[in-house]
Amino acid sequence: MRYYVQRVALAILLLLAVSMLTFGALNVLGDPLFNILGPVAGDVNNPESVEMINAAKREFNLDRSLPVRYGLWVSDFVQGDFGVTFSSTGQPPVSGVISERLPRTITLVLMAQFFAIFVSIPWALITASRAGKVSDRISTINAFFLVAMPNFAIAVILKFVFSIKLGWMPLTYTADDPLRSRIFQMVLPALTIGLPVAAVYQRLLRTDLITTLQQDFILLARTKGLSKWRILFVHALRPSLFSFITVVGLNTGALIGGSIVSETVFRIPGIGSTLVESVLRNDFPVVLAIVMIVASSFVIINLLVDFAYTLIDPRVRR
Amino acid sequence: MSTQPISSAEINSDGTIVKKKLGIGFWLCVTWLGLMALIALFTPLLPLKSPTQNFLDPANGRPPYSPSWKHWFGSDKDARDVFARTLHGARISLTVGFAAITAGFLVGGTVGVISGYYKGWIDRISSFVFIVLLSFPSLVLAILLTSLIERSLLTISLVLGLLSIAPVGRLARAATLQFADREFVLAARQIGATNRRIIIKEILPNVAIPMSSLALLGMAVAVVAEGGLSFLGLSVEKGITWGGLIQLGSESSKTLEEAPWIAFFPILMLFLTVLSLNFAGDRVRNYFDVKETTL
Repeated sequence: MRYYVQRVALAILLLLAVSMLTFGALNVLGDPLFNILGPVAGDVNNPESVEMINAAKREFNLDRSLPVRYGLWVSDFVQGDFGVTFSSTGQPPVSGVISERLPRTITLVLMAQFFAIFVSIPWALITASRAGKVSDRISTINAFFLVAMPNFAIAVILKFVFSIKLGWMPLTYTADDPLRSRIFQMVLPALTIGLPVAAVYQRLLRTDLITTLQQDFILLARTKGLSKWRILFVHALRPSLFSFITVVGLNTGALIGGSIVSETVFRIPGIGSTLVESVLRNDFPVVLAIVMIVASSFVIINLLVDFAYTLIDPRVRR
Repeated sequence: MSTQPISSAEINSDGTIVKKKLGIGFWLCVTWLGLMALIALFTPLLPLKSPTQNFLDPANGRPPYSPSWKHWFGSDKDARDVFARTLHGARISLTVGFAAITAGFLVGGTVGVISGYYKGWIDRISSFVFIVLLSFPSLVLAILLTSLIERSLLTISLVLGLLSIAPVGRLARAATLQFADREFVLAARQIGATNRRIIIKEILPNVAIPMSSLALLGMAVAVVAEGGLSFLGLSVEKGITWGGLIQLGSESSKTLEEAPWIAFFPILMLFLTVLSLNFAGDRVRNYFDVKETTL
């Protein structure tokens, strides 16, 4: 029990540190007034403008000291109030922006993750069963190529080949389309994120599979005359999945980071592209909310993976 | 793991010892990287067309011009030479990549080795800082910081350097932990060597080997990160970068359709460079037989 309490406490401490860093960096280095007031914000010699600036500062609590503002933000945030956007009207509330856009990013990340898993498992099985042969070497080179391709380059290539040259896929995302076509529009963005990840998963699973395939029980299964595919799928795959599952779990948080580029290229209004837009507008509450969502999902998944370990192997709980 | 010696020899199943080789692929990659480094260093001296001049050619119709003898990689919409621009792009990309990983190694490596050697409260604090840094997906942190500062070559390098501190530091710490209690360190301490001497003379040479491949892999990550930032318009403000060129060539689907060379030549250069860094790093790791789990 003590182990669980410690891990949860560490996670909370971690999120506090992340929020303090983000809040501090934004408030010390950035200036949101321009986005709220427009050009008036720079006009400090005109008393009328100064009056407006002061009013805006009061309205958005910018006249308070940094620790006070942080305290106010934290107490609101933990109660589920993400604040208002830093714009002239303060509308829409941040929670509105997030609840509209987060589902798109989650869909995208899940699609990418499913794609990566369904490609990497058969790929790893085939290559592991013929380790060292020509086809395995070719696949290794392919995996290297995929990992070396930055995701914005993959996005551009996919867009060029499948949307422009072949015309099979839509160019961009349309938020008003029916669900089915929106899912279809997310195929290329999901591939952008998923392809390099699939290569990483394949490398990992292939190594573990090769180790498993050298075990005695595989030899036994072969002497029993079981078919190659039955041995691979039923006997070898399951004991090899341990580190694969860990990495898949831990990667989910990182994939949200990967969605930033994909969403920007394919114009999907998810939280990744929103982060870039809001950070350039100094829209602090939106940025903070997104950073906290991403960091929390990362930390929580980590925690769950750790806890899953203790269930599988209680020695970890020391 | 701790007892496994790091060696560049491999023992065959029949007991013969074979010297491992880095392989021709490794040297090809090194050649490419050397070429890129030379280009980056001496861009102003190369007989290139000006990367900012507009080479309008009315006889050829309106730009963008497709690749030809005159413009090897074609021209962009403003009739600027894509070949010259792509080579100029090597400069910022490689400088940032190199500076970032150097900064990461200086800070992260030092902190990692010290906390792995002394352990105790230094270790606890630095480990916590590392986890905090790692709880941001790196691109999110990079976007956050670069959007708030003036984006020059120095600041972008520092931001990406900051991002590499935690991964480098964690590996340095793990590698140091493996050696800190080994017999040769104990022996050095017994004959009265100071901690500082032990770290520099005994620990560092051993830690440096697994770190050497991380330097290459880390530089690849930094080059990609810089590309991603400049693709999003958040890298060095004045200057040509590969990410920026790719963005320019793919901004509108029309440009990408009519003049794919604007985006694809920078993609090719970036790809070959990252591939070389990854491949060389992987070969070095194999050569010294470092287990993948420590990286």
